[in-house]
This record gives sequence, structure tokens and C-alpha cells, in this order.
Amino acid sequence: MSIATGALRNIQDVARDPRSWWQRSKGNIELWANLIVIGWALAFMLWRGGGFAITVGSVFAIWAILAVSLNLVVGYTGLLSVGHIGFFGIGAYAMAVLSSNASYEQLRTEAIPTFGWPFFAALPFSVILAGLVALVVGVAFNRFRDDIYVLVSFGFAVIAFTTFLSWRNLTRGAFGIHEIARPAIGSWVFEEELEFLALLLVFLGLVVLIAWLIVTSSFGRVLTAIREDEQAIAVFGYHTTHYKLAIWVISAMMAGLAGALLASWSTFIDPNSFVLLESVLLVSIVILGGLASIWGSLLGALAFVMLEEGMRFVPFLPSEFIGQIRQVILGILLVLLMLFRPQGLVGRFKL
Amino acid sequence: MSLAQLRDVSLVNFLKIREQQSRLLAVGLTAAIVGYIGWKIVQSPDQALQFAFNGLAVGAVYALLAMGFTLVYSTVWFFDLYYGAAAAIGAYGVFYLRSHDVLGGQYAVNSGPVNVLFAAVTAGVAAWALHVLLYRRLHTRVQPRTLLIAGGLLATAFGIYTGLVLANPANLHVLLSPLVAFFVAGVAIWALNRAHLRFALLTNRGPFAAMVAVAIALGVLVAIFVASTPSLGLYLSWFVACLLSGTVSLALYRGLYVTMRERANSPLIMLVASLGILLAITAFITIVFRAAPRPLPDTFGSEPWTIGGANIKGFNVFAIGLALAGFAVLLFMVKKTAFGKAVRAIGDDEEVAKVVGINTTVVIAVVFFIGAIYAALAGLVSGHDTAIQPRMGLLLLLKGWIASVVGGIGSLYGAIVGGFALGMLEQFGIWDLAGEWRDVISFIVLIVFLSFWPQGLLPRK
Amino acid sequence: MSTQVDPRVYVLETREISKNFGAVKAIDQLTMSILREWLTCIVGPNGSGKSTLINLLSGMLPLDGGIVVIDNVGLRVVKAHDSPDHGITRTFQEVRLFDQISVWDNIMVVLTERRVFPSLLERTKPRHREEAERILKSVGMWEKREAMAQDLSYGQRKLLEIGRALAMDVQVYLFDEPFAGLFPRMLEQVKSILKDMREQDRSIVFVSHNMDIVRELADHLFVLDSGALLAVGETDEVLARSSVIDAYLGN
Repeated sequence: MSIATGALRNIQDVARDPRSWWQRSKGNIELWANLIVIGWALAFMLWRGGGFAITVGSVFAIWAILAVSLNLVVGYTGLLSVGHIGFFGIGAYAMAVLSSNASYEQLRTEAIPTFGWPFFAALPFSVILAGLVALVVGVAFNRFRDDIYVLVSFGFAVIAFTTFLSWRNLTRGAFGIHEIARPAIGSWVFEEELEFLALLLVFLGLVVLIAWLIVTSSFGRVLTAIREDEQAIAVFGYHTTHYKLAIWVISAMMAGLAGALLASWSTFIDPNSFVLLESVLLVSIVILGGLASIWGSLLGALAFVMLEEGMRFVPFLPSEFIGQIRQVILGILLVLLMLFRPQGLVGRFKL
Repeated sequence: MSLAQLRDVSLVNFLKIREQQSRLLAVGLTAAIVGYIGWKIVQSPDQALQFAFNGLAVGAVYALLAMGFTLVYSTVWFFDLYYGAAAAIGAYGVFYLRSHDVLGGQYAVNSGPVNVLFAAVTAGVAAWALHVLLYRRLHTRVQPRTLLIAGGLLATAFGIYTGLVLANPANLHVLLSPLVAFFVAGVAIWALNRAHLRFALLTNRGPFAAMVAVAIALGVLVAIFVASTPSLGLYLSWFVACLLSGTVSLALYRGLYVTMRERANSPLIMLVASLGILLAITAFITIVFRAAPRPLPDTFGSEPWTIGGANIKGFNVFAIGLALAGFAVLLFMVKKTAFGKAVRAIGDDEEVAKVVGINTTVVIAVVFFIGAIYAALAGLVSGHDTAIQPRMGLLLLLKGWIASVVGGIGSLYGAIVGGFALGMLEQFGIWDLAGEWRDVISFIVLIVFLSFWPQGLLPRK
Repeated sequence: MSTQVDPRVYVLETREISKNFGAVKAIDQLTMSILREWLTCIVGPNGSGKSTLINLLSGMLPLDGGIVVIDNVGLRVVKAHDSPDHGITRTFQEVRLFDQISVWDNIMVVLTERRVFPSLLERTKPRHREEAERILKSVGMWEKREAMAQDLSYGQRKLLEIGRALAMDVQVYLFDEPFAGLFPRMLEQVKSILKDMREQDRSIVFVSHNMDIVRELADHLFVLDSGALLAVGETDEVLARSSVIDAYLGN
């Protein structure tokens, strides 16, 4: 509320005296971060055209859902979870097993159970499964904090990945699952990439709305208090463990949703999408964008996607190293952020 | 999370009212595990022997990791994730130096930029080390500019030497022989001097020249032997890889962590920053060596012996010995030397240590160096045992971390016991499962330990 | 004081409670009764167990033995998150605010819904706003409401913490060293807040080292030494006893 009126006041001032704008915004890192990332994205999309924009938009939407969901846990509640990719994977595999094409799967030597459900029937199941797993994991993890939390959440990511890779009767291990259903409403199938992008953006909007409602509610305020001093807020009558468990499950369900969408979008998944390093990258997106800021997570995801796509067009850069170079850049960015701006680009919370 | 906090969150404290049940559960769990292992041993003793030996062999790697990790953690009290990268650098350092020798040189790697990078890092670290060691003693007697130029030249020489070594891995035994000579002579002088002072009880400097002569002669002899024995290349590459890993660790500490700890001494900030470093180094290794797993060259004792129905590799016995020796060295260093006293003082309270005149920056730097060497040793031992891949660093780091939690965070005895215990539990755990579930078993062990024995097997006092 | 008092007069009692830190007995078989609607003060040398006592009463440390009686109900285990139900709230010796959120939210957070699911659906209500405004004005922090708690001065932080406790509508207020380290102006402010609370018939327990303030404010005094009670009684009477003066106040 106060930020919105502040921005309004700024705009009024600038309208009165345009030259004051430069003076005002010279040291405003948040403003420049926004301008640069969004400007870069827009310029790129205009340059590369529609097809590019659709792909980038889809990848962005999935990462953004993940980042927003993780920010609820890391930024607002202060639990540095590095295992979020596990819930992403659970959502994806639930979707894959429930909705992959039964006839195609049976052709394979290593047959797995298939159900051939439509997308919209499998989606709630994927989300709920991720939530249920989170409930169990959350009960076990609830009493850990700080660096021990990092360690056990690493553990969750490793356990999830090993399960995807080694429970071959269900996931077909490294071969992955093919022919995952595209969403369909009646006879209208979302085959076109543009249609799917629209669906993804609708879900992203939904997740952002829910996240915004959560963080502006009384619940969200208690979460920030838990982050600051868990013992102190407990004395005022809050069952902090219940709060942490609730946000953990909600966040995991959002990640599960992102996973289900990914499975359906790419129609093929294998365990390589859910390795530990992806999880670490996700954490760096959240920190880069800004802790305790939903807009920051969107910005971080956009910057991350643009970093990769942007590097495709850098001359003299071998294409097989793009992922690695992006990782190097992110690593160095993390160090620089921790040195100079521990709250991330537009964050509200310093680690 | 400090130790006191850890005790707070143990299940026993957490559910104060259900203390009895919780104890019962813990005892029951232990009994079940012991019973399971006992049943397995009765069922097939031969296989049990094999698994127990495998457990010790894996445990040696974990123990090495946990020891270095504990040393660093109990000094600076933040989880340094670079530690995983140090293990990977150790393993890939060996591969880099021996790649012409592996699989007929199929994956031979030698890249100019990498050599230059390491040369530069070494030069930087050497410059800092020279400054720390000599500046205070010399700056009153020698012109600062002379000192600067001399130090710069010396550091550059170190850098060039490192570059040369890295660029000519096939001639490692020749290139490294002067360093070996220097090292041997230094150790010999130190040992002779100690023996001289202790046994001859003389303080006059007369025999000193003779001692130096003997030591130098010894050094030259060893150097000639090394230079004429190409088969030593592998073991020299271990030495170089450990030094490189330690050097990078020193560079990071001096170049980054010192500034960072001054700005914000929050464990989470340090953890995230070191996570960034781990990410960057892992990606860098992938760029240089590709993501696919690579083997390290054969060592002595690759052929298994059969003892009591179990296949035992000599190299694994060597690894177990290495872990025990590493433990002995570390224990001696921490308990008996002035350095160890300083380390413990810093671990108890860094500010107080600073006040009583300990040069905390230097002591912590040495701790980081030693820690990285232990990590590198663990990395290369595990690399020789199985294979190396870029993401091994993170996995090894997690195993070392778990082992130190199992043993008791911050406790040196706990580290070695925890390492071997974790290795054994992991190996017996995968008996009825496939080997790929071993990481899962480690983490389940971790969560059980954190829930029931958060202070570990042998807590730090 | 008469020896036999109607039990309803006590708002909070302890019966032989103990707390050990390793071999150190921080609280040793302590039995005490705190009077309803009185301003009670606990004094004692450093390490005599004053803060430990407050921590035990508010459930931040587990009891090693004994019973805490609240509203005629004996408790062997006091849980921190039950303390508002027990009618207890507290401040901390080292101020513990929620640093990286605003002053306004620091107050709001203790006013709102405590159950998990209703709080998810609850938006800030006008009555919460009015209450927070009243509290912030009463401790003189209304102008600072949009500042981050970590950017306040030490005195302001102390006041805000007292305000946060005032926002809780409970029977007993435990103030751990509310006067420590304050400038005279702030000191007067805190004193007047405590006096106002007494006017409103609240029960207050505070810990202090400042004997002038203790004399001025406290109705009832407990003197702790090595985790045990050295003296109990009305302030003037206790402060006149020679044993107290020798043991603690003499130097």
C-alpha cells in the first residue's frame, strides 16, 4: 500500500519536473534492475520474433512459478531450502505416469503402469501428491534451521532424484517417459505452443495471485516474524511449527504444479531435469531476484532465462557450453550479491 | 545452527513430555539395525566380510572428508561449500596431470588458459605468503621498493614454475624433482636440527654446516632418483593436485572470505557465497573436462586379493591407512602444537583470539589450506576407487558433512568415527537394495541422527 | 502482610521449580507467588537466575522440576506458544524485535489471528489498525511506524518491545530489565507506561538493577540469590532488612 502511493507520488513529481528524474533514480538499483532485465527481454523478443518469444515465455513461466513458490519458503519464512526441485519432479512424474499415452508405453521393453488420464484430471493429483510428500517431509524437517536445514534439504533433493532414477518400475529410470498428454478441453487440444503459453501464463497468474494473497494476509506477516525470530513469535501464542509446515506444503504444491506443467509442455521427461544442480540454480534465481519479494522472483526467473537465451547469440561461444557458462555467471553473481547486496536485486530481506 | 541450538531441537528436548517413548524408539531403532546386520553376518559371513571391507574403504574417503571439514567448520563456524569443489579439484588435478596416460590418451586434456589461470593463482598466493612470512622481519632492514620487486619476482617465478609443471605433465618427475629436493632437504634439516638439539644437548652452531650439507646431499640424491623414475609421475601428481586444491582454497580465503567475514559475519551469507563458488567451479570443470565420467589411471594394488571369501584391493587398504594416518597427523597438529592451540582458541572465540595476539587471518588461512588438502586426498582416493565426474564435488561434500554430523559436529574423533560408521551403514544398507540407493541411505542416516542424537556419536566438548 | 492470603490473590505461582545448566543450578527449588494487580520487582546480583526465571515462566526454557501454577492450574510443562492462553506475555533482556519488518508490522503481528488456517484468510481489519495505532501512539512510536525495526535506536527498540507486549491483552506482563541502558527521558517514559498499567489494574513483574526505580515503582519485591529466594515482601520493608543489605545491596 505504502509502496504504491510512494510510486504514485514519484510519478507526479517527475511529471512536474522531468529533469529531476535522473537525479532521483541514479542510485536506485531496484529501478535499474527492473529496467535492464525487462528492456533486455523485450528487445530480444522483438529482435528474434514470435516463435522465440513463445519458447522463452513458456520456459520463463515454469521457472517463475518455481521461483515464486520457493521464495515463500526462503524469502518469507527464512528456511533456505535447496531441495525444492524434488517437488517439481514429483509433480512432473505424477503427471507423466498418469497421463502418458498407454499404447506408446506398452511398446517398450520396460513397461510401466500407465493410466492415460487427460491433463486436467491428472493435474490436481500431481499437485496433491506433491503436497502430501511435502507434509511428510515437512514434519521430519520442521525442527531444523539455518545450515542444518540446507543440509537436510539437499538430502531431500538427492533422495528424490535417486528415486526418479532408480525406481524403474514406475519412472523407467534414465530412459524417461514419453508421449505425455497435452491439455485438452473437450475437443480443443492445446497443441499450439501459443495456446500452451497462454495456459502457462494463466497458471503463473494464479500462483502469483495466491502467493500475493498469502504474503499480505495475517499468515504472511507471521511468516516474516518466524523468519526474524522464531522463539520470540512463539511466545506470542503462535504454533510456529504449524505455520512452517503450512507454507512448506503450499509451496511444494505450487512446485508440483510447475512440474506437471513442464511434463505436459515438453511431453517427455527424464531424471536429468531434476538433478541437484538444477535445485541450486533455482535457489540462486530466488536470491538473485530478491528475497521476500514476489516481483523479485519473476524478475529473477526472467533474468535467468534471458541469460541462457541471450548467450545463444554471443559469437565464439560453443553452444554445448552455454549451460555451464550460465552456471559460472550465476555462481559469480551469487558471490557478488552476497558481498554487496544480500537481499538480491529487488528484495526485502537480507540473509 | 550452534551446538546449543542443536541440542534444543533434538527430539528428546522437542517432545520433553515424551522423553521415555523417544528413548525407547531410539533404542529400538539401534537394536533393529544391529539385529539386521547381525542376521546378515550369520546368513552369509563371506559376503558380510566383503561388505564390511567395502564399508571401511568408502568410510576412509568419508573420514578424510569429515576430518578436513570439521577442522574448517570448527574454526570459522560456517559451512564452506567450496570444500566440495576442493575434492573435485584434487581428483581432476590428478586426471589433468595423467590424462595422457589414461585409456591411451583418448581424453588427453591440456589447455593453455587453465595453466595460466593456475599459474596466476599460485603467484598471487605466493606473493601473499611471502608478504606474511617476510615483510615484518625485513622491512626495517631493506628498502620497501627492493622488497616489493624481489617479492614480486619470486612470486612470479612460483607462478611460472606452476605453469610449467601443468603444461608438461609427461615430464612431471623431472620438473618436480627440484621441489622434491627442496622439500626433502628442508625436512632433513629440521629433523637433524631437532635431533641435534635434543640428543647432543649442544647449542653451538658448529655442526650446523655439516648438517646442511648432509641434508642437501640427501635432497639431491632423492631428486636424481625421482627425475630418473617416470613411474613416480602418478604419485607426484597426487602431491601437485593436493597443493593446487590448497592453493585455490587459500586464494579464495584471502581474496574473498576475509572481506566477506568483515562485512557480514552471517553463516548463511557465507554459505550462499560458497555455494556460488561451488557452482562456478563445477561448471568450469565441466567445461574443461566435459560432463561424462572419466577413470583415473591404475595404481598399485588394483588387483584384488582374496581373503576369507572377500575380494580386497590393495589400494583400498592404502586408503584406510591414509585416513588413519591423516587422523594421526591432524590430531597431533591440533592437540600438540602451538598452531593447534591457536586454532582451538579461534574456534572458541575469534575476537578474544585476536585480542591475545593470534594472527587469526594467517591461522585460518592455514586451516583452509589443510582442509582443502584433506578434501583433495578424499577426492582423488574416491576417484581412483570408482571414477570422477564434475558433480562429484557436491556429493562428496554432502557425505563429508553427513559424516561430521553423525560423528558430532566440530569433533575430530567424531569425524573419523562418523566417516567409517557412515561408510559401514551405507554398505550394509545397500545389501538388499541396489547400489544406487546409497546416497538415499546416507541421508536417512543423517535425518535419524539429527532427530535422535543431534550431538552425534562423539560430541565436541 | 498477612500470612494467609486468598489464593485468588495470586496471579502466578511457582512451586519448587528448578533449572540446571549442566552442573550449575540456575534456579534451585524456587517457590514464589506473584500478587494480582501488583507491580512486582525481582532483584538480585548478576547470575542469580532472574532472566532464567522469566524464561521458565514464559516457557522459553523447559522446567527441570516443579510446578508453575497459573489460574489455579498446575503445569509441569510450560509451552511458549501457550503463554497468551496462560495470560502471560514478556519482553526480553536483549531486545528481540522482528528486525527486518516495519514497526507497524511488529505490532500488528501480535494482534492478528493465531490459528493457522483462519489467519491465511484474514486480511488486516480496521479494529487491528485502530489497536495498533493506539499502542504505537501510547509508546510514542507512531511517527516511526514505517521504519524497519532494525533502523531504530536502542531506546526506541526497547519502547517498541514494551509496546508489543502491551498489544497483548493478558493478565501478567513480565518485563526483563525494561530500564537497562535507557537515557533519562526514555526512562521516564517507560516508568510512566508502567504506572499507567498499574492504574489499569494489570499485574506486572519486572527485573531491574536500578534501586531508585525499584523504590519508586515496586509494590512487592523478591530478592533472588543463586537461584533461591533471599527475601520477599513489600518493597520498603525488604529494603530495610539488614540481611538483604548485606548480601546484595551493601556494596
